[in-house]
Amino acid sequence: MTHTLNRRGLDNGRPGEEICVLSMIHYQDRNEETAEAMRELARTIIAYGPNNIMGSSVGATPEQIIESAAASGVITAVFTDKDTVGRLVREIKTKDPGISVVLSGLFSDIHDICEYAGLTEHTSNYAVGISGNAALLPDHITLEIATQCGHGLVSRHYIQHVACRIAEGKMTAREGAELLSKPCVCGIVNKKRTEEILLKMAELTSFTEGHEINYAVRQKRKFS
Amino acid sequence: MYIDQDLCERCMDCIPVCPVGAIGIEETKCARHFSFRVVIDYETCVECGVCRRLKKCPQKAIKQVEDIPYPRILRAAFSDPTFRHASTAVLGRGTEEMKTNDVKNEFTRDNVGFSVEVGRPGVGAYFRDLQKVTMKVVALGGDFASYNPVVALMDKSTGALQEEVLDEKVLSAIAEFVVPRDKALKVLADLVAFINAELESVATISVIARNEVDGGHAFLRKLKVHGKVHGYVPYPNGKVNLGIAALKGGKP
Ligand code: SF4
Ligand code: SF4
Repeated sequence: MTHTLNRRGLDNGRPGEEICVLSMIHYQDRNEETAEAMRELARTIIAYGPNNIMGSSVGATPEQIIESAAASGVITAVFTDKDTVGRLVREIKTKDPGISVVLSGLFSDIHDICEYAGLTEHTSNYAVGISGNAALLPDHITLEIATQCGHGLVSRHYIQHVACRIAEGKMTAREGAELLSKPCVCGIVNKKRTEEILLKMAELTSFTEGHEINYAVRQKRKFS
Repeated sequence: MYIDQDLCERCMDCIPVCPVGAIGIEETKCARHFSFRVVIDYETCVECGVCRRLKKCPQKAIKQVEDIPYPRILRAAFSDPTFRHASTAVLGRGTEEMKTNDVKNEFTRDNVGFSVEVGRPGVGAYFRDLQKVTMKVVALGGDFASYNPVVALMDKSTGALQEEVLDEKVLSAIAEFVVPRDKALKVLADLVAFINAELESVATISVIARNEVDGGHAFLRKLKVHGKVHGYVPYPNGKVNLGIAALKGGKP
């Protein structure tokens, strides 16, 4: 979640599309008392039905997720509805867990949530983009999925491969989004948004005479 | 990571999953027809472990050596979030940065934090590229965060990394540092220009600032204006610490 701020493709024109929730115990404060507070917090987050959550990519059960959050002092989840996150944050505030909570998403969405929950933004992390040798980057739509995993584990080749399978009718966009969420060990890939992006990619995919996958070629033509 | 050729059936299912494109086919000599094997390029592989964790291989042919030697082990330490190794002294790729700032108050209204992640997103970078950034940070007067794995490999007075690690490639590595707030915009402009001119790979830059008393984003407004002159555009999204830990027991 460290790099959720660097996700590409979020837009003030589509409010509430994605809000990541992260909670962390400062490493010097980890003890049985804070572990119990984290357990309770993880239970609360799960109860609000996230789109994805830490541990889900390896098939962890809710109990396993709760115990792993208590042991590691961290939990991450992603939601696709601002009102739900507003209610979640308000409940967390009422429970006063003494644990840091960070939201990642549009600043305008986060501000609305803070107002609803009676909080003020404490510290912010701003992304100023990608610098350096831009020729090494994939096209911007592929980046909208690839940047959802801050550790960089969702391969651009895998994303394009899955988009082509969808275009060929060999899998659905939902199945594709599920597959692409697996490499991300933090469970922070927004599967709903990924599904929509994959549909867009599949539409842009064409096939040459030799049935070569041609997503990249088509992209180049469209954006150059 | 390597592929056990005795087990591999050349189905090629593993090829697309590698974030850095290290898995590919290699033509093998055969007079009569085209023949190939699927291999992992030792130099390109950053030991992120994705190919094994995804369990794509029906033959269990993707294998890891028992002991990755030093300094190659740093590839796994910086690229595989499930891997823990003492060589970097701390766990993970970066610090808690602003995630727990409502407890530790490291970022105040007098300073600004920076994070420059070399190799991100999904490109990978050699430590020699990171060293260009760390040496530049020293020249710009940045104060490095100590609980970051890069610091264990670095001479903090010069920003130089240990010689033997320079040719190791990782998915990404982060230089994290703090500067006084009145110098932050100048540091950012210099960094963006330097990285655009000097880096072989790419880098993602982010900035940490304490919000105003009313929660306002005064520093973001400054970034928006400054970026127009210095060639960057702040994103409309980012990360916000809600200050909930600071409320414990009714404290303001
Ligand atoms: S360990 Fe990572 S970099 Fe190496 S081949 Fe496997 S997926 Fe690619
Ligand atoms: S998935 Fe396994 S069997 Fe198939 S090519 Fe890769 S290593 Fe070989």
